[in-house]
Amino acid sequence: MAETKVATRPRPASRGRRRAIARRAGASTARGSELWTAALFIAPALALYILLMLIPFLNSVYFSLTDWNGATLAKNFVGLANYAEMLQDPQLYEAFRNNLVWIVIGTVVPVSVGLLLAMIMWSTPRFALVFRTLFFLPYLLPIVVVGLVWNWIYHPLYGVLNSFLELIGFDYLTRGWLADGDTALYAVLGAAIWSAFGFVTVLLFAGLQGVNTDVVDAAAIDGANWLQRARYVVIPAIAPVLTLVTSITLIGGFAVIDFIIVMTNGGPGNRTSVLGFYAYNQAFQRNSVGYGTAVSILITVLSLVAAVVFIKLREGGRERG
Amino acid sequence: MASVGAPAEHTRMFSPLHRRMAATGSRYAILVLFGVITLYPFILVVSTGLRDPVSINVNPFALFENIRLATISDAWTLGGFGGYFKNTLLITVPTVAGTIVLSTMAGYALARIQFPGRNLIFFTFMLGLMIPFTSIMIPLFYELIDLGLFGSVWAVILPGIAGSAGFGVPLGIFLMRAFFQDLPNELAEAARVDGATEFQVFRKVMLPLAAPGIAVLGVLVFFQSWNQFLMPLLYLPGEENRPLSTGLYIFASGRVQDFELIAAGSVIMILPVIVIFLIFQRTFVKGVTAGALKG
Repeated sequence: MAETKVATRPRPASRGRRRAIARRAGASTARGSELWTAALFIAPALALYILLMLIPFLNSVYFSLTDWNGATLAKNFVGLANYAEMLQDPQLYEAFRNNLVWIVIGTVVPVSVGLLLAMIMWSTPRFALVFRTLFFLPYLLPIVVVGLVWNWIYHPLYGVLNSFLELIGFDYLTRGWLADGDTALYAVLGAAIWSAFGFVTVLLFAGLQGVNTDVVDAAAIDGANWLQRARYVVIPAIAPVLTLVTSITLIGGFAVIDFIIVMTNGGPGNRTSVLGFYAYNQAFQRNSVGYGTAVSILITVLSLVAAVVFIKLREGGRERG
Repeated sequence: MASVGAPAEHTRMFSPLHRRMAATGSRYAILVLFGVITLYPFILVVSTGLRDPVSINVNPFALFENIRLATISDAWTLGGFGGYFKNTLLITVPTVAGTIVLSTMAGYALARIQFPGRNLIFFTFMLGLMIPFTSIMIPLFYELIDLGLFGSVWAVILPGIAGSAGFGVPLGIFLMRAFFQDLPNELAEAARVDGATEFQVFRKVMLPLAAPGIAVLGVLVFFQSWNQFLMPLLYLPGEENRPLSTGLYIFASGRVQDFELIAAGSVIMILPVIVIFLIFQRTFVKGVTAGALKG
């Protein structure tokens, strides 16, 4: 499939193609062999990618226009009915609201904490690499393990969170954090933030290595305090990395699903249901494959929009820089 | 590294000694506080995984009480984590190998060979970095059934290599193409002048130079494939091919909570990743930062 695409794509008007023909006709056998090498090298990756990435992606558009339940042979075309249904689905709105909370808190907290830690590590370099290693460790853990351990931390009887609150005299705050509808989403977020902040810290720390310390020194001599130096000198200098980690965290937030499955399975009620979980739940647990896929298309659109906005932001930042 | 300390050192000239020490002290206090928050869950898992089950119901999460190393081997045999470990290896090794081979070849062609449609193909692959797994998980489920792969390890290996879960050829081509673009052209030209074919240029000249890039890609794919949860959950429902992630999840979802075995299973699962991380730390951090920063 890829070979036809690469070597003999039927587009006579393309300039590259004419160049390729000219090359081959120009008695340069090396050029011809180059083309074949390129085709052979790309074909396996492209074939697999088309089969297991692009086709399911296109199929998700198709499925979302049907009322398929996953079992019948025929898929009835229903047009945009699933999308119309989404507009009137209170559970979808609840999942969307929870997802917004997830994205905002799940982006702001790790990025702020990561920025704080990265700047401290950068300005007090002794042991900085030890802390970098330490902070990076949670990012390496499988989400299953993170979820299980935080389940224990939130355990109503034996969990360290409740023990700690009792110790400092806030007994009235103790509860089953994941079973209480008012706290469950934030409790899951806590685990997700714990597993992500190290990644943000390491990236920002790497970005800080490129900052010119002379400028920071000059600001210090001019009497700028720590906060002012951070606000007016350091943060603008690492703005591209900051935009990048913010958008990676943000875009990932639209598709989150594993933490929810591992820790709460959407409950209590739908209090921790997010869009990805709702799509999963509809398609795999309630056999509404068509509708679940429509929800997944919503996720795709939201994350693609976020990605495009982010690319624009970066380009804007580059032009200014 | 020393110059990085400059901002802190300059304050020294203007502030009294004790004020500077307080500032440095509070910075380390913040680092240590977050260090404790980072470490506590690790300590909790390891210490619970070493508990004697006889005492565990009194206070299951008391740290390092009634230590019993045999709990780990109990999880390996009685808990079935030995089998899950083997399955995880059977999934991870082909995923890493396949991703490396296919991305190196395609990344090389996209970086160093001029041909029509090159950019179109590259951007098609990069689209894969923007499509979240959530967007394709449902149709992929039915496609894997149609292909007859559902339930076999290939139902996780092949989509893994294809990039369905975020770490396959799209990421690999992105990294390897950038790596090959940075290599000097002179060596390849010299080999061509000596009559080497394109494949020989790749195999004998460029591939050895790409070893550091391949290492970065390898550790990156290794740990993500080892840790992956959603694809095995959806596409490997059976017991016989179950890897550690879903094995642990299903074990922990049981009616009886054997805290010590769950924790020991977690230790078995995270140990290889931590060990490889500590050995290849530089490569690892470089991979994670390069994957994000290069674009």
